[in-house]
Amino acid sequence: MADTPVPVTVLTGYLGAGKTTLLNRILSENHGKKFAVVINEFGELGVDNDLVVDADEEVFEMNNGCICCTVRGDLIRIIGGLMKRKGKFDGIIVETTGLADPAPVAQTFFADEDVKRATKLDAIVTVVDAKHLFARLDDSKEAQEQIAFADIIVLNKIDLVTPEEADAVERRIRGINPYAEIRRATKSDVPIEAVIGRDAFNLERILERDPEFLSGEDDHTHDDAVMSLSFEASRPLDPEKFNAWISDLLQKKGQDLLRTKGILSYANDDRRFAFQAVHMIADGDYIGNWKDGDPRRSKIVFIGRDLNRPQLRRGFEACQVPA
Amino acid sequence: MAGVTEADFLLAQRGTTQELGGWVVAAIFDRAGVLGFALADGTVRIGDITAEAHDGAILSACADAKGGFLTGGDDGRLVHTAPDGTVTEVAKFGSKWVDHVAAHESGIRAASVGKLAHVLDGTGKVLKSLPHPSSVGGLAFDAKGKRLAASHYGGASLWFVAAKEDKPKVLEWKGSHHAIAFSPDGTHVVTAMQETALHGWRLADGQHMRMSGYPGKTHSIAFTSRGRWLATSGAESVVLWPFFGGGPMGKAPTELAGGDEVLCSAVACHPQHEVVAAGFGDGLVLMAEVASGKVVPVAPPRGSAITSLAWNATGTRLAFGTEAGLAGFVDLSKR
Repeated sequence: MADTPVPVTVLTGYLGAGKTTLLNRILSENHGKKFAVVINEFGELGVDNDLVVDADEEVFEMNNGCICCTVRGDLIRIIGGLMKRKGKFDGIIVETTGLADPAPVAQTFFADEDVKRATKLDAIVTVVDAKHLFARLDDSKEAQEQIAFADIIVLNKIDLVTPEEADAVERRIRGINPYAEIRRATKSDVPIEAVIGRDAFNLERILERDPEFLSGEDDHTHDDAVMSLSFEASRPLDPEKFNAWISDLLQKKGQDLLRTKGILSYANDDRRFAFQAVHMIADGDYIGNWKDGDPRRSKIVFIGRDLNRPQLRRGFEACQVPA
Repeated sequence: MAGVTEADFLLAQRGTTQELGGWVVAAIFDRAGVLGFALADGTVRIGDITAEAHDGAILSACADAKGGFLTGGDDGRLVHTAPDGTVTEVAKFGSKWVDHVAAHESGIRAASVGKLAHVLDGTGKVLKSLPHPSSVGGLAFDAKGKRLAASHYGGASLWFVAAKEDKPKVLEWKGSHHAIAFSPDGTHVVTAMQETALHGWRLADGQHMRMSGYPGKTHSIAFTSRGRWLATSGAESVVLWPFFGGGPMGKAPTELAGGDEVLCSAVACHPQHEVVAAGFGDGLVLMAEVASGKVVPVAPPRGSAITSLAWNATGTRLAFGTEAGLAGFVDLSKR
C-alpha cells in the first residue's frame, strides 16, 4: 500500500494559556478536515470532536542505553490503534498536559518504527500566556522547554498586556528560541494554516526561517537556563569529521541539547545536507543542490541548557576542511 | 518467492478470498470452527454476515470462551458476536479503549483497559480488576485457564485467576513489553518488546531469556503445539527459538523461509504438527515445516501486509487477513 504518513500536530502550553481554546478553534473552523485528537486531561473545557482519545501520559525510557531517550508509551499504543482506521481522518492533534516536557512526545515520532512509518511530526505548537509568561519562565523548567521545542508559538492573551510588555515577552521568547515563529493572538485566534500543515520537521524546511535578528548575536539577556546558539562555517565541512563530532556531542551532551538543526555544505558535494536532532535522536539527509550564486555556508543551531559557546564554536569550525 | 507462479500458491487451488474493505485486526476460528474476521471498522465478518459489533474500531479480538467471537473496541466496549452475527455487549468500560482481550474455553474472559486487566465470567460479570504499573501491552491465559499473564512497562505480571487474594508474581525486565505468550506446558512466559527483542522467563527459577537480533519490532509470537519452538515475526525470515535441550539460552534460532527481504508480520503454529504459517509485509503467506525447512506457498504477495493468521483446531484450514482488508482461507483437508 502506498502509505502517506498522517501529519501530527503537538500542542503544548502551560495550564490556562489557551491550549484547549486553540484546539477547539482548529476543530470548529470550517476547513473540511477531520482530526483525531489525543488529550490527556478531560478539563473543564470540553473538546468537541468525533474522535477524541483520552490518554494517560506514560513516559517510558527506551531500553537502548540512551538515558534521555524517553518516549510516550501511550502514544505508541494509541497511534497503533488509530492507524487501523486510516483514511477516516486527515491528521492527529496531540494535546499535552500543562506540565509536560515535550521531548518524549517529539521523540516518540523518531524512536518508534511503527509510529515513524505511519505518521510524521508536523509541528510543535506552544501556546503561551502573554500576561503570565514571565512568572512561568521564572518558576518552571517545563515552560522553558515548551518554548525551546516549539516551531510555532502562539503568544496568547495579547489584549491583556501593553504593546511594550508584549515586545518584552517576545524578546524573552526569542532569547530561548529565535527560530520559532511567533503569532500574537487574543483568545487563541490564529488562522488554522498557521498551526496545521506546517511540515516543520521536514528536513527540506529546516532553518528555512532565519531569525529576524541574526546579526544581533547575544539576545540572551535573561538568565533562562534554556538558550540558543548558532554558528556558521564558511569553508566546506569534512563529513567524517562532522559525523564524529556531532555523534560524540549528542552522546555526551544530548540531555541538555533540546533541539539541534543544521544545513551543511560538505566538501566536493553540490548537495545541501540537512540535519536535525531531538536530544540524542538524530536524522539527516541530502535535500537538493545549493543554488547557483548562493553562498555555501554551513549553519548549525543549538537550543539547550548549559551550552558552552566557545567550545561548540571550536568544535564546529574544526569540522571544516583545511583552508 | 522468486520463480513461483500464481498457480503454485495453494490459494489458487484450495482457497477463497474476500475484500472486506477494512484493516483485519484478527482472523479467528471460534471453538466450533466457524471462521470470523474482526475488522478495524468495528464489524465482525462471518461468511456473508456483517455484524456491527462496535461503534468505532475493534482493537483486539479472540475466540470467545464458549463459541463465537470476543472483541474489544475503542468505544470502551467488550462485545460477543455469535456465529449467526448476533451481537451482545458483554461489558462497557467508559471512554477508555479496550486494548486487549483473551478468553479460555473454561468460560473465563479477560479484557485490559489502560492499566487494568478485568477478569470476567461467562455472563460478563467482572470478577476482579487487576492493576498494573502501566498500560497493559498484552494478555494471555495459560493452557489450563488458571493463570493470566499481562505484559506492561518493566515486565509482566502473572495472576492466578481464582486466587482469593490478588497478588501477582511479577516478572521484571527493563523496557516496554507488549505481545505475550505462555508456553503450552505453562513453564515459560515470553514477551515481545518495544526494543526489537523478545524476553522470556522460566517460571520455575526466574531464569531470564534474551532473544534479540531482530531488524524490526516483533508483533506476533506463537509456540508450536508441543512447545518445542517459539515462532516469531519481526525478521526477514521466520525466526524460531528452540525451547528444548537447554535452549533458547545460548542457542542460535532457526530461520525459515527467508530471502525476500520483506519482514515477517504474523505467525501461527499448526495445532498438531511442527508446521508454522507465516505472513509477510508484502502479503505473502506460506507454510514451513520446521524439521525439513520445506516451504509451501499459500497466498501470493498482493502488496498489503498480513496482520493475522489462524488455524482451525484440527489444522485443516488456515485463514489470513491484511491491512488493506483482503481476507481468505485455504482448505488443506484431504480430497
